[in-house]
Amino acid sequence: MSQLHNAFTLFLSLLVEAIPFLLLGVLLSSSLLLLVDETKLIERLPANPILGAIFGSCIGFLFPVCECGNVPVARRLLLKGVSPTVAIAFLLAAPTINPVVIWSTWVAFNGQPQIVVLRIIFSLAIAIIVGCLFGLAGDVNDLLQPKLVRRWQFLNAKNQQSAKVAVSPLLLSGTYLLGQDNLQAFDTTLTPQKPLAQTKEKVLDSKVFKSAKWQQFLNNVSQELQELGGMLIVGSAIAACFQVFVPREVIFSLGQDNITSILAMMLLAAVVSICSTVDSFFALSFVSSFTSGSILAFLVFGPTIDIKAIGLMLSIFKPKIIIYLMLIISQLVFLMTFIYSYFF
Amino acid sequence: MNNYPPTHNKQQNYRFLSLLNNLAILAWGLLLLKYAITGQYKILIHPNYFYLMLATSILLLVLGVFKTKQLLQVAPQPTEQHLNIFPPGVGSSLLLLAAIAGLLIPPTVLASQTALQRGVSETLPATSYEPQAFTTQTKPEERSLIDWIRTLNAYPEPEAYAGQPAEITGFVIKLPELPDNYLLLSRFILTCCAVDAYPVYVPVELPPDGQSYPIDSWLKITGTMTAQTLSIRDRTDTPQEQRRLVLQAETITKIATPKDPYSYR
Repeated sequence: MSQLHNAFTLFLSLLVEAIPFLLLGVLLSSSLLLLVDETKLIERLPANPILGAIFGSCIGFLFPVCECGNVPVARRLLLKGVSPTVAIAFLLAAPTINPVVIWSTWVAFNGQPQIVVLRIIFSLAIAIIVGCLFGLAGDVNDLLQPKLVRRWQFLNAKNQQSAKVAVSPLLLSGTYLLGQDNLQAFDTTLTPQKPLAQTKEKVLDSKVFKSAKWQQFLNNVSQELQELGGMLIVGSAIAACFQVFVPREVIFSLGQDNITSILAMMLLAAVVSICSTVDSFFALSFVSSFTSGSILAFLVFGPTIDIKAIGLMLSIFKPKIIIYLMLIISQLVFLMTFIYSYFF
Repeated sequence: MNNYPPTHNKQQNYRFLSLLNNLAILAWGLLLLKYAITGQYKILIHPNYFYLMLATSILLLVLGVFKTKQLLQVAPQPTEQHLNIFPPGVGSSLLLLAAIAGLLIPPTVLASQTALQRGVSETLPATSYEPQAFTTQTKPEERSLIDWIRTLNAYPEPEAYAGQPAEITGFVIKLPELPDNYLLLSRFILTCCAVDAYPVYVPVELPPDGQSYPIDSWLKITGTMTAQTLSIRDRTDTPQEQRRLVLQAETITKIATPKDPYSYR
């Protein structure tokens, strides 16, 4: 019974720690929905997949979100029509390559600056490699959750419709060629009050437009909050139960030599599911008993793949793709950190 | 208003889901506010995150109230096709249930069971922003348990502290490898939240009155520091026999669990 109570406390503790960051991520993602003009964003994207991946990894610097916050933003980017290369690079890099996380890692590890620097380099490398790999997949629809694809198509259709409406006045070349004076004369003869009415309508229109945007923002915030919050609850519950009911000795007994310590810390990172903004402090507790290669593995692997994030990622990708992501990323992390601990 | 179109049921359903969602948001706002007011946040997260939590609580409450007011004023229209991993309403229900459980069941203070599971230690995790010259700053009898651990970390030579007076508080851990008249007085150190609570201890030699102290009870112990050779498990659970700083207890007072049972970094 007391074990259950402990698990419940850890569960609450994870949630109380994570929900502010989740809210921050959802707010940023929703403002992205309103502020970012997708066509302009796509125009600015480099066509080269490698440059695109680098660009995607660095978007994280603009949005200080951890792994609970980056999923809604990545999903929003995909819905806005950004290529999977950029979105995946963003998804993997953003939890690490952002000012808040770099700062907190620096505070925790400024005695070992190589940990901070290598965390950034390894995360960037993995994001770019995996981003490019998934860029090779031809059809976006093969990667994404069917429901997300449907929403994407729905939004696309809507965009095209509105584009048509926006374009149609320009296509009426006749009015343009008639010239202003003619048009005005034509207007005044028919409806003399119209200019006045038009300005009024315009003011009204912009007000309605603003409140509609505001409405859309609010709806999106609460919608994503309940959706991702639900996933966060499931993930935190699993993580808390693992922490209480799986004896740590089981994980620690693996942590003696180079290879198993890296594997053990990667497993721990996936199980504990701690936010990347605060995970470096958590990792500090293991510095005494684990190799620095394995600490690095924890710091690089944790923000990309953990139980909580997998739950959230299910809202973007098909389960098969998440398994691919897990396999590729864990191999890359293992290889990089093993080389590090072997040579240094 | 009475003659709804055929979508009446759908709209009613959407209204219910929106209400559930708003309730979940409000409940989390309330829960965080409750932790802020009662001070219970101290056993969940590092106090550094207090204002972040408070701001989140206020934002959630404002959002919840605003959305609910809106829901009551205007008939909601399901405009966008919603994407959901869960069936509609499940995410909100989970959030709402967790918040209600949190409001009803107070969080517990971690104790020896968790400490043993995490691996007890008398050393601090490696960290860089520990004051280097801690030893000279405080009088021995004014040091807390954590201060003693810090002092020992700065200069790990048990013999150097032998004979110094001490008064420390913590909870009781018992280990099978310890003789009957020994116990560990322990406290947790939090770096970010209860998930990473790190247990540290000072071994205590009990006075020969034969009184025993139950596991997890909180004690205030005054006595003298000594250096003794004791075999105690390390964080990987292998017994290590070495010279240790041991508190030889003179007076032991049982105390209630403190309001802020953890130490923070």
